[in-house]
Amino acid sequence: MSSFLDRLTGRVRLGGWLAVAAPVIAILFAVLITSAVLLVAGNDPVEAFRTLADYGSQPPTMALILNTSVGYYISALAVAVGFRMNLFNIGVDGQYRLAAVVAAGLGGAAVLPGVLNIVLTIVCAVVVGALWAAIAGVLKVTRGVSEVISTIMLNAIATGVGSWLVSNYFGVLNGNDLATRPIPDDAHVPGIPLVAGAPQPVNGFIVLAVILGAAYYVLLNRTRFGFDLRATGQSETAAVASGVNVRRMVVATMVISGAVAGLSGMPELLGASFKYSNNFPTGLGFTGIAIALLGRNNPVGMAVGALLWAFLDTSSDALQLLNISKEIVQIMQGVIVLSVIVAYELVHRYRIVAEQRRVSRELAAPAEPEGAAA
Amino acid sequence: MKILYGMQRPDEGEIRINGSPVGFHTPADAIAAGIGMVHQHFMLADNLTVLENVVLGSEPRKGGIALDFAAAHKRIKEISDAYGLGIRPDATVEELGVGDRQRVEILKVLYRGARILILDEPTAVLVPHEVEELFGNLRDLVSQGLTILFISHKLDEVLRVADAITVIRRGTTVATVDPKDVTARGLAELMVGSELPSPETRESTVTDVVALSVRGLSVLTDGRAVVDDASFDIHKGEVLGIAGVEGNGQAELVEAIMGMRACTADLLTLNGASIADWSTLRRRAGGIGYIPEDRHRHGLLLESPLWENRVLGHQTRRPNARGIWIDRAGARADTRRIVEEYDVRTPGIDVDAAALSGGNQQKLIVGREMSGDPVLLIASHPTRGVDVGAQAAIWDHLRRARAAGLAVLLISADLDELIGLSDSLKVILRGRIVADVDPATVTPEQLGSAMTGAGEGA
Amino acid sequence: MLRNRVSKLAAATTAGALLMAAAACGGSDDTKASATGAASQGAGAGGAAQVKVGLAYDIGGRGDGSFNDAAGAGLDKAVADLKLGKAQELEATQGETDAQKEQRLRLLAQGGYNPVIAIGFAYSGPLGKVAKDFPNTKFAIVDDPVEGANISNLLFAEEQGSFLVGVAAALKSTKDNIGFVGGVDVPLIHKFEAGFEAGAKAAKPSIKIQTKYLSQPPDMSGFGDPAKGKTAAQGMYDAGADVVYQAAGGSGGGVFDAAKAAGGMAIGVDSDQAALPAYANVKDVIITSMLKKVDVAVFDFLKNYVDGTVKAGPTVYDLKAGGVDYSTTGGKVDDIKSKIDDYKQQIIDGKITVPSS
Repeated sequence: MSSFLDRLTGRVRLGGWLAVAAPVIAILFAVLITSAVLLVAGNDPVEAFRTLADYGSQPPTMALILNTSVGYYISALAVAVGFRMNLFNIGVDGQYRLAAVVAAGLGGAAVLPGVLNIVLTIVCAVVVGALWAAIAGVLKVTRGVSEVISTIMLNAIATGVGSWLVSNYFGVLNGNDLATRPIPDDAHVPGIPLVAGAPQPVNGFIVLAVILGAAYYVLLNRTRFGFDLRATGQSETAAVASGVNVRRMVVATMVISGAVAGLSGMPELLGASFKYSNNFPTGLGFTGIAIALLGRNNPVGMAVGALLWAFLDTSSDALQLLNISKEIVQIMQGVIVLSVIVAYELVHRYRIVAEQRRVSRELAAPAEPEGAAA
Repeated sequence: MKILYGMQRPDEGEIRINGSPVGFHTPADAIAAGIGMVHQHFMLADNLTVLENVVLGSEPRKGGIALDFAAAHKRIKEISDAYGLGIRPDATVEELGVGDRQRVEILKVLYRGARILILDEPTAVLVPHEVEELFGNLRDLVSQGLTILFISHKLDEVLRVADAITVIRRGTTVATVDPKDVTARGLAELMVGSELPSPETRESTVTDVVALSVRGLSVLTDGRAVVDDASFDIHKGEVLGIAGVEGNGQAELVEAIMGMRACTADLLTLNGASIADWSTLRRRAGGIGYIPEDRHRHGLLLESPLWENRVLGHQTRRPNARGIWIDRAGARADTRRIVEEYDVRTPGIDVDAAALSGGNQQKLIVGREMSGDPVLLIASHPTRGVDVGAQAAIWDHLRRARAAGLAVLLISADLDELIGLSDSLKVILRGRIVADVDPATVTPEQLGSAMTGAGEGA
Repeated sequence: MLRNRVSKLAAATTAGALLMAAAACGGSDDTKASATGAASQGAGAGGAAQVKVGLAYDIGGRGDGSFNDAAGAGLDKAVADLKLGKAQELEATQGETDAQKEQRLRLLAQGGYNPVIAIGFAYSGPLGKVAKDFPNTKFAIVDDPVEGANISNLLFAEEQGSFLVGVAAALKSTKDNIGFVGGVDVPLIHKFEAGFEAGAKAAKPSIKIQTKYLSQPPDMSGFGDPAKGKTAAQGMYDAGADVVYQAAGGSGGGVFDAAKAAGGMAIGVDSDQAALPAYANVKDVIITSMLKKVDVAVFDFLKNYVDGTVKAGPTVYDLKAGGVDYSTTGGKVDDIKSKIDDYKQQIIDGKITVPSS
């Protein structure tokens, strides 16, 4: 039987409408809890949620939500690849930041013109992210170091290395901000005016995010590699018996996870800030973990999760306008993740029982002689 | 059975204990009512000690919070000695063989103060004299006023140990009989609803062509040889049986041949080609089929649909794969074929493997491993824990494949099965192959004593 | 509907309320209109009560006991003394993107808040973009030189104030060994370090100075982790220091705790920390604080706005302008005050140029 952890990280699937029921229940539950917190704090929850809904439906906010969610989604994909085979890549955070530093340094140096510079920058980020993650993979298969521990350590090291690179090699001082040389205008990834009436276009990387989501699905569900990966995640012993080289899978999966992690910093670098500065957003990797849990590693589920998360993150200003503490957003995010986990667990148990009943019912119908059931 | 233990709710009907009706929502309710269950598939945490496993969930308290391990240790020792279970409380479960694990399970239930014991296929993993010991224990328990529900497919055992027998087929009570009034054959016919299967193989199909050749194979674990210098040949059309008490190196031998475990060997060839350096995948693709000892751990992805389980272990070969892609249509079609040919009772190929009964799971595995024209089939306990109908079907398939030239390495704890199916039989003891036995002449009792070393050199 | 919150917020200012509602609900179509129609700047145009200040804090916001609090104090003073309308304050969240900061500024400008003040250099890029879209709104940013026709830069000569506390540290040290704890290893904090070091060396050329930064960017936790501050300072006291200067925001409390435990001395930063209620139990170890008068700068800017004398471009708050200084609360530097003031005068007179990196 699957362990709770398997279900937590979505290595066990839920069928049909149940897969949708769980998150819906969870979000309703989270709204309920948050309302209670708001009431205790002396705020009007109805007004608060109405404000959130209103705020979220305005074009500038919608554009911002989309832009924020692009990075979140790619980061969640990076986490999910690992989750599907029981690897906890906590190091997405360090991988994308280090990748962004090096890519920003290279892109800012503008050794190639225009589109070639974009390609070079992206490839650089992918390679750096993959290599950084590979360290944890290699440590795991050669020395048995838990990837949870090693990636957390590598996050700290990535911060130090990135800071050192910026201070000593890539950094240009501008006022009080130390940043890499800005990537030239001809190598900016253009935005797409998706949302009418928004002052800013939607980050062009949204296209890449959609492609990556589809690639993730195809890789996991249609390829032999994906099958091996999922089999290893569900039952390592069965995978070994089936001939999967688990050590090679660990390294390969970490490399893929790190490569995608490297990409997750690119929407910000090539589509928004064009340099790696002290203000480069942090914590994307951890947000990715939450979203992967929320979306059960399902490419569509994670897209919804990323949008929801981005919506909540951007709504802190709207809440502050109502004199509601912005921390309520974090409470809500936490409650959603928790209730999603609980809801999936309940639904999962229901499904197991339901399926066993269904099988025994359908088998009982045609009475054939032979066979005794224990 | 799951209902009795509170793992499932009944749709209708009632349960009475000592005359009063009870309703169980969870196993905890059942435990509280004095019902204890020994599962066929052990529910033990591998990396905890026996002591920890036993107290898990009913931890002895001292002063409210602190765990009183000393007291638990003492009680476990007492129970173990009282029923002759021979359990060392401080060993980790990981180190224990299957037989020991089962005794831990029984002890766990007794520790919880159960008055009614449910034993699900308890003898499947035991050799004859261990079975005798177990029955002795069970009789002791009964004489002390405990009630035992003994679930088994082994009819002679049921006849010997039970005071009353209820036959269930497809979830319905077929008959309740007194063991004194019924023969094993009569009982079996009640169960199967048709005539009795037997593992007897008729004429020999052994050829001269060697399929698998093993010379000087050793497996070291922590510096100790768990398989020590094993050598044998299996010819096409031959079933080679390995008899041995659980934990004497059979599992390691199988894993070494499958390439799942490091080993040293002077020679390891399949169809004349050396496979010593081959990966597990290549060995499988090269024609080794594998029915693992523990189908839940090694044979199936329990929470994946049947057709994905069809792919497992065959993910590089047609009809499951084309190049780097999984061929869904091909795999699904072939799964339907297996379900059809091997009579896997399932509503469809999209249900999870976990939803099937053990017998049907095993038939699926057998069907899968027989596909792709294997040269050699390694069958570890192929009929462990499956119902009589499935057992007969699996035996049939093995015999047919053998007649078609398949070489089979058969490991089993079921001595009748070993003797009945094997063309030649070797006994393994403490990792060494200690004896060759002729299955045509040996009795289960002789074989049992050879396995325990009592009749060394027999 | 948004009108709910809008009317609640701006109940007193009816004209503003309508504009805000239009802007907030309508999106960018109304951007220009609302910006143009928003309370126009200038003395007496409808009175100071119609001046609604929008203030965007850096991470930590009000209650950080340091930088953001100082800005808040300046705003409070301005609202009270100049009788301004109700101000709107928004706070940044950890790890957010520039786009989110931009949205915050935009929200304030769109809502008819004018002037809008951004606290901290993190708003540099976002402010540059937003200011262009709202030419009739006056913006101010603390600690950043970003240029714009409607941006006032409130800059500080932190190195000059740090020089003075460096002198104090050197003179007070009996072991000739002092320390500097920086919150995050960023250029802004390097200015504090450079001034401190120059001041200490000026007073005592042979002095030993230990330096430690609590975190590396973009990990900004060094500005809000007292435990880290305590560990770092403890190490310095153990290694022989007897005075430690902290420029570590919210982590500074840990430095004071370590000083108290080690029986050493410490120097505060930004506010007069010996006088803050939050540090009442450690005020005995705080011999002085480097004052970075963000409150004064914010107040001045708002006063200029009301008077109609706001000018774009940098205003440097240095020793001469009284924008940085050192505190004497507790009287622990009274004995050396004349020497410190002597250096102060030399800096004001330009005889000493304090390095800023």
